[in-house]
Amino acid sequence: MKAEISRRRFLQGSVALSIAGGVSMSPSAIMASASASTKPEDIGKTKKVATLCEMCVNKCAAFAYVKNGIVTKLDPNPYFPKSRNMLCPRGNSGLAAIYDVDRLKYPLIRDGEKGSGKFKRATWDEAYSYISEKLTKILDEEKDNRSTVAFCAGEGMAEHTFKNFYTGFGSAHFLNHASLCLATTVSGYSLTIGGYGQADLENADYVVMAGANRAEAIVTPDSMDFFKRTTGRGAKLVVVDPRFTNTAAKSDKWLGINVGTDLAFVLALTYVVIKEDIYNKEFVENHFNDFATYKKHVLQNEYTPEWAEKITGIKAEDIYQVARDFMHHAPQSIYYQGRRTTWSKNDFQLRRAQAIFSALGGGIDIKGGICFGKSIAMEGHEVSAPIYDQAKSRIDAKEAAVVGGSGTWVGFRNMVLEGRNPYPIRALFNYKHNPMANMPNSAKTEAFLKKLDLVVTIDTMPSDTVMLSDVILPECTYLERTDPAKVYGGIEPAIVQRNKVVEPMYESKPVIEIMRGLSKKVSKPLFEITKKYDEEVQDTIEEDGEEATYEEFDLTKAFEESQEDLNHHAVAKYAGAAESLHAKGVFYPNMDKYFKKLNVNEYEYYPESKKYYSVMNKKFKTPSGKIECNLSSLTKRGIDAMPTWKKEYEIAVPDGQFRFITGRHAQFTQSGSSNNKMLLDLVPTNYMWINKRVASRMGIKFGDEVEVASKVGKTTIKAYPTEKIGLDTIFFIHGFGNKSQELTLASGNGGNDANIIEDSIEPMHGATCLHDTIVEIRKV
Amino acid sequence: MARYGMALDYKSCINCRACESACKAENGVLPGRDNYRIWVGQKEAEGEFPNISIASMTYHPSQCQHCDNAPCQQVCPTNATYYDDNGVVRVDIEKCILCTYCINACPYDARYVDDRTVTVDKCNFCSDTRLANGETTTACQATCPTKVRTFGDLDDPNSDISQLIAKREYKQVKEHLGTKPKLFYLL
Amino acid sequence: MNNFSIKNLFEFNKTPLNLLVAVLGIVLLGAFLAGAAYYILHGHHAFNVTRQHPWGLLIAMYVFFVVSSTGLCIISSIGHVFGVEEFQQIGKRAIAGAIITLLSGFAVIALEVGHPVTMIIYNVLTPGFTSAIWWMGTLYGIYLVFITIEFFFLTIKVDHKWSKIFGIGGLLSGLAAHSNLGAVFGFLISRPTANGVFYPVYFILSAMITGCYLLYIIYGFKYRNDYPEQLKAMFLKLNKILGMLLGILIFFEAWKIITALYGTMPERAETILHVISSPTFIFGEVLLGMLIPFAIILFTNGQAIKPMVYASLTGMIGIFFMRYDLVHDTLIYPMTMLKRSEYQLPPTFLEYFPSATEFAIGFGGIGITIFLFYVAEKVFNLDPDREH
Ligand SMILES: Nc1nc2c(c(=O)[nH]1)N[C@H]1C(S)=C(S)[C@@H](COP(=O)(O)OP(=O)(O)OC[C@H]3O[C@@H](n4cnc5c(=O)[nH]c(N)nc54)[C@H](O)[C@@H]3O)O[C@H]1N2
Ligand SMILES: Nc1nc2c(c(=O)[nH]1)N[C@H]1C(S)=C(S)[C@@H](COP(=O)(O)OP(=O)(O)OC[C@H]3O[C@@H](n4cnc5c(=O)[nH]c(N)nc54)[C@H](O)[C@@H]3O)O[C@H]1N2
Ligand code: SF4
Ligand code: SF4
Ligand code: SF4
Ligand code: SF4
Ligand code: SF4
Ligand SMILES: [Mo]
Repeated sequence: MKAEISRRRFLQGSVALSIAGGVSMSPSAIMASASASTKPEDIGKTKKVATLCEMCVNKCAAFAYVKNGIVTKLDPNPYFPKSRNMLCPRGNSGLAAIYDVDRLKYPLIRDGEKGSGKFKRATWDEAYSYISEKLTKILDEEKDNRSTVAFCAGEGMAEHTFKNFYTGFGSAHFLNHASLCLATTVSGYSLTIGGYGQADLENADYVVMAGANRAEAIVTPDSMDFFKRTTGRGAKLVVVDPRFTNTAAKSDKWLGINVGTDLAFVLALTYVVIKEDIYNKEFVENHFNDFATYKKHVLQNEYTPEWAEKITGIKAEDIYQVARDFMHHAPQSIYYQGRRTTWSKNDFQLRRAQAIFSALGGGIDIKGGICFGKSIAMEGHEVSAPIYDQAKSRIDAKEAAVVGGSGTWVGFRNMVLEGRNPYPIRALFNYKHNPMANMPNSAKTEAFLKKLDLVVTIDTMPSDTVMLSDVILPECTYLERTDPAKVYGGIEPAIVQRNKVVEPMYESKPVIEIMRGLSKKVSKPLFEITKKYDEEVQDTIEEDGEEATYEEFDLTKAFEESQEDLNHHAVAKYAGAAESLHAKGVFYPNMDKYFKKLNVNEYEYYPESKKYYSVMNKKFKTPSGKIECNLSSLTKRGIDAMPTWKKEYEIAVPDGQFRFITGRHAQFTQSGSSNNKMLLDLVPTNYMWINKRVASRMGIKFGDEVEVASKVGKTTIKAYPTEKIGLDTIFFIHGFGNKSQELTLASGNGGNDANIIEDSIEPMHGATCLHDTIVEIRKV
Repeated sequence: MARYGMALDYKSCINCRACESACKAENGVLPGRDNYRIWVGQKEAEGEFPNISIASMTYHPSQCQHCDNAPCQQVCPTNATYYDDNGVVRVDIEKCILCTYCINACPYDARYVDDRTVTVDKCNFCSDTRLANGETTTACQATCPTKVRTFGDLDDPNSDISQLIAKREYKQVKEHLGTKPKLFYLL
Repeated sequence: MNNFSIKNLFEFNKTPLNLLVAVLGIVLLGAFLAGAAYYILHGHHAFNVTRQHPWGLLIAMYVFFVVSSTGLCIISSIGHVFGVEEFQQIGKRAIAGAIITLLSGFAVIALEVGHPVTMIIYNVLTPGFTSAIWWMGTLYGIYLVFITIEFFFLTIKVDHKWSKIFGIGGLLSGLAAHSNLGAVFGFLISRPTANGVFYPVYFILSAMITGCYLLYIIYGFKYRNDYPEQLKAMFLKLNKILGMLLGILIFFEAWKIITALYGTMPERAETILHVISSPTFIFGEVLLGMLIPFAIILFTNGQAIKPMVYASLTGMIGIFFMRYDLVHDTLIYPMTMLKRSEYQLPPTFLEYFPSATEFAIGFGGIGITIFLFYVAEKVFNLDPDREH
């Protein structure tokens, strides 16, 4: 009896892996052709392998052509409904990623001061041993407080594999890109309408895209669906952005808003539709919770367009117009959610206001509105998540009102730097993520990484973060590995799988193999530490014996099977799924019936009647089942229950200074592709946007080098004077100006925004505020 | 035997330049400032912030027009530039003497010197890469996110391109020069 | 033929002027060889030509040389084809000059055309009959054959009947070749400023002017401004011819500019406006190339010979700028005014400045001319035969 309780104590519960166990049929036969290296009879022949792009988050389906063991071309693969038979420039340039001469080739162990760039080549075993020794030492000193070791990851198909290691390891600290990217919009929409959803841009009649640049920051299928219908061809588009983007070029109206003032704009839109009584009455009546309070709030605060004009710089008449047009087209009207929404302090409230405004038109869970769609079930496999008695809870839990499972990265980093951590943070495991470039204030990130006793980075390239690590483990690129099969739910759901195209080059390995090797090495020694400090475990060993107890703590279990086998079993219940995933990279029920080629360019994935536009049956996934206007429970945590404009949101830009904003363009992915030869051929470097008139007043011409300086750092960059940006705003594309000398093409190329962005966080989730920095510029 | 042409739904172009990288990868076009078979033209925005002319920011995807009456072909001293059986204007690298006369003669800036062969190169509708392998799309068409391009046989009334240009209005570039281009910009 | 040995090849009167020309010739010849070597190693990357501006100084220098050749041929034909007495004495030297400048031009163009050997083969195997370059090249080939044989009958196996027959052949093929060279530009429908009948006619006209200038220079150098009466008589006639030609040219150019500007046809008018405001046009073409010589002829009533020798020097510099501008101005307006990347300035008139290699090869060609002339003077007797 006692034993049973103890056993249960060791399990935090079980965690579903994205992959399944059990053998039904050997997939090795199917996989053979993809994984085998060139057989003599294949020489000179071209083979075609279905894979998935991982040059960015979208994971477009691709076909890779291989000749004599070399990937010669990447082509779009039409089978995936989300990626609609396309590859963007980055997708095409995957070739230059796999064959980048600067790639990480062997495991490396630091051999000199941190940051000196000196490493010595090691075998995988040496690297694992080094990590194991360091970890045991740290955990021994920290008395098995597993939370002294943190884990961080960028987004990726195999992020989960890495996370399985974290789960087994038992730390409280997982940190990922969410608090640098989309935390606020996902939760803003989820808490308000019950999900982030998918904007049905294929059918919407009217769309407001504010601070989302779908023509350049590509998100599938939005980028593909929408721009076939803009410029007078079915869908009206209003773009709200401080810059005239490529998306603005496709709009019917572009509103050049003052940075950080969108909330005032949305509140004014709301004011107009309430005041003029033009919202969707029936929908609000039936599906809104506590609309009356919100209505009163908006009216009483007098969020009028005239009020908003002064704050946003957008003319009141334009606000009236947008509000009326939006409701005219509703419910086929969408206030687009946006994706990278880590801008300013009010971001969560902004997304709430957007969601409510969108819902006022009734365009939720309906064709042409924001849809929730459906998922496809895969066979899950439960893997134990042990409890370590000594592991303490998150240190950053109080840094913001609601700190979720992916933490507040910047908050966490700053606590450690400022010594506000209640217990030491000693080590960091980093997978496919480059905090040096992607967290604001890189001087602090550098100091943070230097402060840690052990930083292990799994990457493909010698990034700035890699150069500040103690152990570098080279993963193979996405074209050299099979990754976990994954479901992409939505209006047209599908399961996709990345198949290995060629064998890993050099000594690189897929993360699953890295985790397998590492867990074999560390599992037992770490258990010894637990044994030493965990009384519960000591008791259980006495009762059940060591072997049985160790079972629960055995880190190797999650990585026993090959990825191919795991994938195969995950879809075992669908006839033909594994074969389809192998041959086409894609599977969904009835695919063979539904999938049709319409013409040389277009395909149909689901017949119109089978698409999942409306799935909720008007019961939204919120506490009340309705659209939530007034989240009074948040006030306890110091968060406004309703979106409210505050004076402090108005950041004045002093004369001669500028507000800095950051973002994407279509030819690069954050920092990850900055060394890509094919992409640099399209755009050799980044340029600073500065208003043309201001530039000419300052004597700055196109191509002039300027220094951009903020309170926290500076960077130099070439100038691009243009009227596409306002007088007090500066912009440049994120991801350039890398420091790592090992990146032949990227090193020192262009301006580095992480150097200059100040590192404040917003109050709801502790997401970073990337657009709150004031800078000065000077010609150099 | 076909007469290949291309229709461009150019208003859908988001200037992502995937077509450029796809063409380079497919056809082995070398990196470099002057080395490209395909490009997207744009203007610097007209107007002053915040009143930018949206129309001034239209993107113009472009490549060789495969003129039916091609100046580049007329001026070639060795007939290195020729019309192939499919009406595709191509360069025979054996015969090209690199006089670059055709580069001067092309009104569309479609030609350049290829350092691999040290002859003149240009878009050839992927004839020796994709078409030769039985593909029916060009690399630039296949990869395009918004499906700007429709490639096909103008002589086949049932082809997608023939249907498109029969159904929709289009304009052509520098038509007044009498080049009879086979790129159709759909309005 | 003169008595000729390697030894006397290096013997010349070491006057300062002769020494200067000798040094100049050697330096230029060396430059040519160095430029050629560099080009062979680096290909077209040694040149500053680009996709948008594919032709440059070498084409200009080629045109410069072949214009000189045609000009010398035409002017000399006044004597031995049309029988004008005073011009017969210059026949041999002028034809020698025509051959030499043509060869210099070929030397330069051989380094501009990427595959000269392929050119020879496929010009014959798969001739492009619609190509002005094909006609120009082929006709210049024929022209070279004609004037070489003409030269043979003038100097080696003196035969006036045959020399006249080949002289006529040379003149006709030269005129044909040369107007086709004009057509190389005139046929460019892509370039509104070049397209049309102007260039073929203009080329003949400017060739004749070039021929005049060159005769002044060649004989001015040879006789150090101390001319026999016979020659003076020729020069006085030449003065009148040149004056008339320059008058026509100025008239032509003026109308070309006026018609181009009239109606402000976008691409054409803009380009011409840009062209006529550039210093190479105003100072090079107009002042040096036309006005100075024209003014001298006008104000001396065609009686000045010495000043004309100097004016011919400025004239030839002007002619060079005419050739340079011909190439550059034709290409100056981009074929697309759109940017190809967000991060670049909007296209404007194209800029081009020759690379060191282009300078070396292009001007090095003059070294070839000087060298060949020197050899020709040594090997052949280029003065009128006594018995004549
Ligand atoms: N200043 C500024 N900061 C930002 C943003 C911004 O716009 N401006 N954007 C934010 C947003 S939205 C996001 S999502 C984050 C993104 O931040 P990150 O997740 O750090 O994204 P990347 O910059 O793409 O860096 C990815 C890293 O993964 C490596 N990598 C690529 N492929 C593989 C692989 O197959 N295996 C492994 N192991 N490694 C691989 C790359 O070499 C690179 O070092 O940045 C955020 N930070
Ligand atoms: N090509 C490409 N595509 C990508 C990525 C990539 O790196 N490259 N990354 C992917 C990822 S991880 C993400 S998160 C998404 C990001 O997708 P987006 O969020 O759409 O893109 P961003 O460029 O980061 O930012 C959007 C816009 O916000 C504007 N902006 C800045 N401040 C304000 C403001 O105060 N108000 C308003 N209204 N607008 C403002 C910026 O000018 C910018 O144009 O893109 C994804 N797709
Ligand atoms: S959007 Fe581009 S980079 Fe991202 S997955 Fe798709 S093809 Fe790859
Ligand atoms: S791929 Fe398509 S959308 Fe992208 S630049 Fe080319 S034509 Fe335009
Ligand atoms: S576009 Fe230019 S290269 Fe293409 S066929 Fe026409 S003239 Fe020739
Ligand atoms: S460069 Fe080649 S293809 Fe062009 S005209 Fe000359 S020979 Fe013909
Ligand atoms: S058709 Fe082929 S060769 Fe021509 S531009 Fe497109 S990809 Fe390049
Ligand atoms: Mo992101």
